[in-house]
Amino acid sequence: MTTLVRTRGLTKRFPGVLAVDDVDLAISTGEIVALIGQNGAGKSTLIQVLAGLAAPGTYEGELTLADAPFAPGSVSEAEAAGIVVIPQEVNVVGDLTVGQNMFLGAEPTRRGLVDWAQLYARARDVLREFSIDVAPQARMGSLDLATQQLIVIARALSKQARLLILDEPTAALTENEVERLFGHLRTLRARGVACLFVSHRLAEVFTIADRIVVLRDGRIQGDHRTAETSRAEVVAQMTGEAAAAAPAGPPVAPTVGIVALETENLRVYAVDEPARQVVAGVSLSLHAGEILGLFGLLGAGCGPTALALFGAWPGQVTGRVQVSGRQVAIRDPSDAIRHGVGLVSQDRRDTLMLEHSVTDNVTLASLASLVRRGFLDLAGRELLARRYVARLDIRTPTTAAAVGTLSGGNQQKVQVARWLAAEVRVLLLIDPTRGVDVGARAEIHALLRQMAADGHAVLLVSSDAEELVAACSRVVVMRAGRIVDDQPAEGLTEGRLLHAAAGVAA
Amino acid sequence: MTQTTARETPAERRDVRRQALDSMRRLRRQADLRNYTLLGVLVVIWLAFQVLTDGIFLSQRNLGLLALQTTIVSLAAISAVMLIVTRNFDISVGSAVALVGVVLAVLTVRMGVSPPLAILAALLAGVAMGAWQGWWVTRLGIPSFIVTLAGMLYFRGLSLIVTDGETVAPLPGSLTRFATGYLPPFYSTSLILVLLGLYAGLQVGLARRARRLGLVERIRPVLVRAMLPVCVAAMAAFYVAALLGIPYLVLLLAAVTIAAELLMRRTRFGTQLYAIGGNPEAARLAGIKVGSVVFRDFVLAGLAYGITGIALTARVSGAVAGSAGVFLELDAIAAAIIGGTSLSGGRGRILGALLGALLMGSLNNGMSLLNVPTFYQETSRGIVLLVAVAIDQLSRRGRVDR
Repeated sequence: MTTLVRTRGLTKRFPGVLAVDDVDLAISTGEIVALIGQNGAGKSTLIQVLAGLAAPGTYEGELTLADAPFAPGSVSEAEAAGIVVIPQEVNVVGDLTVGQNMFLGAEPTRRGLVDWAQLYARARDVLREFSIDVAPQARMGSLDLATQQLIVIARALSKQARLLILDEPTAALTENEVERLFGHLRTLRARGVACLFVSHRLAEVFTIADRIVVLRDGRIQGDHRTAETSRAEVVAQMTGEAAAAAPAGPPVAPTVGIVALETENLRVYAVDEPARQVVAGVSLSLHAGEILGLFGLLGAGCGPTALALFGAWPGQVTGRVQVSGRQVAIRDPSDAIRHGVGLVSQDRRDTLMLEHSVTDNVTLASLASLVRRGFLDLAGRELLARRYVARLDIRTPTTAAAVGTLSGGNQQKVQVARWLAAEVRVLLLIDPTRGVDVGARAEIHALLRQMAADGHAVLLVSSDAEELVAACSRVVVMRAGRIVDDQPAEGLTEGRLLHAAAGVAA
Repeated sequence: MTQTTARETPAERRDVRRQALDSMRRLRRQADLRNYTLLGVLVVIWLAFQVLTDGIFLSQRNLGLLALQTTIVSLAAISAVMLIVTRNFDISVGSAVALVGVVLAVLTVRMGVSPPLAILAALLAGVAMGAWQGWWVTRLGIPSFIVTLAGMLYFRGLSLIVTDGETVAPLPGSLTRFATGYLPPFYSTSLILVLLGLYAGLQVGLARRARRLGLVERIRPVLVRAMLPVCVAAMAAFYVAALLGIPYLVLLLAAVTIAAELLMRRTRFGTQLYAIGGNPEAARLAGIKVGSVVFRDFVLAGLAYGITGIALTARVSGAVAGSAGVFLELDAIAAAIIGGTSLSGGRGRILGALLGALLMGSLNNGMSLLNVPTFYQETSRGIVLLVAVAIDQLSRRGRVDR
């Protein structure tokens, strides 16, 4: 085995964040290296640099490929050098066939025209090699997500890769499919291909990886041969608990009030497979004055639970929901809002009108209360917006500025402001601090605590254990659509949450 | 300096161009600048025609005629803005207007129904057409472009079937007199002054309230900004009205404009329309019932069919099923776009669309005065539209880049 890729002192900053901090990492040929760490640990940024998604010059440090300096300026440049990335989210064109998707932009041609026979023959060979039982002429959109993902992976594996980077490749796969994928990875390893494997699932990491590298806050915390470490050790390194025995304890005084939102036997069905339950019978009580955390790995069903409670899940939902002790039917977000429930989503592109002003966005859910004699009270509306911009310390030059020009943290505060202005009593948040810098994250947590102290009920869905331990008064853990743990924040550790979510004993 | 200018490298030229674009974008961001640009273009065109036509163009008589000529397109453009703002398109306007005209003409001419009743029926017919198309768009989720493309075909077809392709004329005199008549000068000028007074009163009230709430420190700049363009427009209207009065149709347009502007800027419904166009998913997640709001928008578009159809038919005193309103939808959309309505939704002003209609109407009117063949007129309108959309795209890019 020889060293294939090496970074020395790799450092990349974003405004306000040190995403990757002085990382020395070496990957050898024929080696599977797992890269683990919590959200925001710097995994994605590291991958971006290797994959050519970060322009040379935007980071510091040295990068070599087979001992030669290497600075890919684009994905195609990285691919030409043999570095192939399989992204976390599968991008396929649903209306094209499997074969067309596999050769998108690289269609084999004959005398200037697409050589369909060759395209489908090659697609068939790749599918056969990976035992994917799908016709190359099938429409991509007619297949389920796992099959689509397998096809994308198969296509990437069939390229002449020297280093294969897989970013959470197993999130949408079943156990059998994961096993099959691992089989292929081992074959590639035997051929000398190096592999960087990013995952949240520790069980998988310990099954497949030769080496485990732990990142936290952009730095490498541990670099172990898999045989020489334990889950407890890497979890401790991921969360930093070994270093700092107890992070700043949960400051929320659990002066819990009445039950604000209660759900019984909530079942949420997948959109594309109406028989599959994404949430399989969840019962929860959310009290006024508390911040309840909902933790789970990707696919555990936490996000869908919150969306269903807000009436925004596109598929079928069953189960009872009570708000302030009254049974309600929430079929649509407008129902939820009428009953005093608001939702802050992780994807601001879904919830904000980025080209519209701060005022427009903050007051969007409170228009009904601003109507006077049939007309909108524009001055009152402006006043309402300014009040919440000041109260939440939203940093914007004026309330007339387009929301898209604000920083991510301030955009999230605009979302929260919208619901405060609409006077909701229950606020659901899904990963509200994803992509938000550390300072703004702390501000948002402080804001949530203030809301809870004011008697709001807050449900915080997050895949970041550290965030939940820091912000919540109680944390519920979900796995595979079910609740598997329910803990008060006192004495709670990130390790315990991760263990429960991954289904391994502490 | 001259040396370097003569020999600037391509990179330098790019730099200069980029700086120019940057400053343009910065300016664009400062509120409704483009409407002022449009106003500037309009003034330039007017002055040019004034010189070229030896003073005929800006005569009171010609300006009155110009206002009358742009009325129909302006009415249709108002409804175009209200739909495009929600990312919907209506290309059935011309045919729908023709069908409304047929309803009006057949009821009055062939069946002897009294004009008020026939007007009511024609308005209802328009509303029904709008609701029908809105149902297909919001309930079945068919893109509005397709629904109204179909409407464009069968509304026209129905008009021809009902009239058997023949012109139904003449309409009762009262209808024709309404469409071609003028409010006498004295009443016209008085009306302008009264409206101006009401507007000023409203603005003072609003500005005082804003100061009381601490939103502005001083009232005067706010009032000047609100009053200045309106005063200029009122003076122009006063100048024209003093000789001949105001055409009743232009009064109708003014009433529709005021109603639409209030609806769009000062009601919950209008705000929801902008929100839906800005981001439909965000609107839904903020509790707006997107389908129901867009449906009502189409019903209003239907009301606009009714009003526009009645005005157009009465003006020519008869329904010509085959040719009435042909290309009206395209002129309306062009006026809206030139007036700053964004094709991707969320942005657009009623008053901008009126300026857009006036700009295109001025080109037509001026070139007709100069005896420019109609072929050239069409061509020039096309180029104006293209330039306007190019500006729209440039300003948009400046926003998204960040």
